[in-house]
Amino acid sequence: MADLDEIRRMIEVALPGAEVEVLDEGGGDHLRAVVAAPQFEGLSRIDQHRLVRAAVKERFDDGSIHALSVKSSVPD
Amino acid sequence: MAADPQLKEKVEQLIGEHPVLLFMKGTPDAPRCGFSMRVVGVLDALGVEYGAIDVLPALQPLREVTTEISDWPTFPQLYVNGELVGGCDIVEEMLDSGELADLLGVEQPEAPPEAPDSRLVEGGPQQSPPMSLG
Repeated sequence: MADLDEIRRMIEVALPGAEVEVLDEGGGDHLRAVVAAPQFEGLSRIDQHRLVRAAVKERFDDGSIHALSVKSSVPD
Repeated sequence: MAADPQLKEKVEQLIGEHPVLLFMKGTPDAPRCGFSMRVVGVLDALGVEYGAIDVLPALQPLREVTTEISDWPTFPQLYVNGELVGGCDIVEEMLDSGELADLLGVEQPEAPPEAPDSRLVEGGPQQSPPMSLG
């Protein structure tokens, strides 16, 4: 069971200036993160997703998150 | 928890040999996971030839291998020309945007296969798309 607010803050800390929304897609451990971050500029989608995953790696490792889908974009 | 070097070598070889390679749960004819099934649907919609590897018989060892190769622990994973493109959500996004068709050098299909909204507005009950669940 993940703490959605904590997950959101972890992504915000890793990607300063990002707009982050974290949603529960089911069961409290299947999450969806919607992230618009200036750091994504010029990166492939897979690299954008890697940054988001890396930010919350601890919560993957301890089992609080089982699956994370990511919707990434570069802010206008 | 280092990956099995022999398995890693084999996986790298397969990725090198297949221009389009999908690591999935189950097989294209009988996917065992909704996300894998969706990626198969995307590749079928684009009409590309691809190799598919069922990860279920060696899930944990393969997870360790792909984590080392691509820093990506979950399946499905689609590789194109030796590079990890992504899992289900990236593949679907890139289908919708036309990037995947570009990357694969194929024509963008007329209508995306997943368009529940347009099915609703077109009215009348319609047959669901064929599903291959074995």
